[in-house]
Amino acid sequence: MSEVFVTGASILKVDRYYENNIIDLAIGAISGLAEEISIVHPDILILANAYSESTTEQVLLSEKIASSLGLRVPAIRTEQGDASGGSAIFTAYSFLKSGIAKSVLIVGAEKLSDFPTNHLNDILAENLDEEYSYRIGMTQSSYAALQMKLYMKTYGVGYDYFAEWPYQMHKNASENHYAYLKFQVDKDTIMKSQIISDPIRLFDTAARADGAAAILLTNGELARKFSESKVKVENVYGSSFGYSMRELVAVREAWLPWRDFKPNFIEIHDSYSVIAAMILDEIGFERGKSLYNIADSQVNLSGGLKARGYPGGATGVYQLAEAYMQLTGTFKGKRAKNAERGAVVSTDDLGKVAYTIGLSR
Amino acid sequence: MKILPPKIWRNKETQYSLTATQCQSCGAYTFPPRHVCNKCGSFKVTKKKLSGKGTLITFTYTHQVRTGFERDAPIYFGLIRLDEGIEIVAPLVDVDEEPKEGARVEAVFRKLRVDSHNGLIEYGTKFRLIDNEQRN
Repeated sequence: MSEVFVTGASILKVDRYYENNIIDLAIGAISGLAEEISIVHPDILILANAYSESTTEQVLLSEKIASSLGLRVPAIRTEQGDASGGSAIFTAYSFLKSGIAKSVLIVGAEKLSDFPTNHLNDILAENLDEEYSYRIGMTQSSYAALQMKLYMKTYGVGYDYFAEWPYQMHKNASENHYAYLKFQVDKDTIMKSQIISDPIRLFDTAARADGAAAILLTNGELARKFSESKVKVENVYGSSFGYSMRELVAVREAWLPWRDFKPNFIEIHDSYSVIAAMILDEIGFERGKSLYNIADSQVNLSGGLKARGYPGGATGVYQLAEAYMQLTGTFKGKRAKNAERGAVVSTDDLGKVAYTIGLSR
Repeated sequence: MKILPPKIWRNKETQYSLTATQCQSCGAYTFPPRHVCNKCGSFKVTKKKLSGKGTLITFTYTHQVRTGFERDAPIYFGLIRLDEGIEIVAPLVDVDEEPKEGARVEAVFRKLRVDSHNGLIEYGTKFRLIDNEQRN
């Protein structure tokens, strides 16, 4: 069985790109790997994207990106809502591990900033079941608000507990060159911000925007062409479970094999402050207390979805790219201490699906 | 165009009569109904109309809504434990005072949304408070 390595990573600042379409963004991210892909011709291209049918009225995007690059290779798209990035990494890892491919180019791309909020809420509600939840007008933030109220009751915590998360994420993002919301906020501003779905406030939600990130994964033989200090993908695990108001079973199950891995830093999918708390609870932090002392935990040094920004199904690719940059000492932002092992938890926005990726150098 | 007659038609049992499926092997309910049990994976399931009576576990008041639901905003959404034991989420209507956790609720048939292009109206299930007593 081949070993799998991250050979290069490139990310665009998460932002509003009114002048660029989704293919422009994808190619913009891939251009950051121009040297790598001129040496290692990718055997397969995988696009991670969740919402293109609704946001760009486009399908067959992976082919359009591949043909734009002149790549005459299999080009596929993975879609699992916000976990599309994690599923792309899982797919690429499987191709490489099996020997079907020696190199896979992953690109995550999403356009979310072209729409007014209500319309984007409608698109994101496509994550819900079609027959009932979508039709009754539910929003993702309404679900998360119900989860947050149950969490508050179960663990006896108030809103100030959740304010810890956006406070720290903005602090981290203020150092991140690629962050969308590159500024700090005080807790009073967080706790008085606009109510989205009570008790969820604006600062508890992810900052929706456009973005693209690209990663080149290769086998060991090709990785040696670039560097001796390689970043190895130790494994990728995944799980699926239905909606659960009180726990994130998919996250728990996908994390189980990493119990003894002890990563120095982690990137998680913090679609809402409560989802951040629930993910951390499932991956070994103390339940009901995971957001306390988060500053010392080396979680989401990027600033997370909250402040680095939320580029939909591309998010998991950003997370892996950021983890790679931490391990190679090239991250333009807050650096992890003792960065020898890192982990990524890529989920959909309510934690029904989870992929976990472990990296080491 | 978001509201299409075939989609409403095939959802009529789900939206109009709150129908679930019950597993013949483990007894679990699945809602919306599926031809398979989401607990044990058995394909031996039968349709069962739910009582539409339940207890409000908790609720949220949603200010930021979706396109097509602006006229209803802000909307109360409740997490409800039906008397059959399953939990569903539903809009709460006819709310005169803030709901209380533990209140008894019942399903009612109401307008969900109107398609601004073709004028079609979609109806479905919402819930109203029978009494608003806190019970926990």
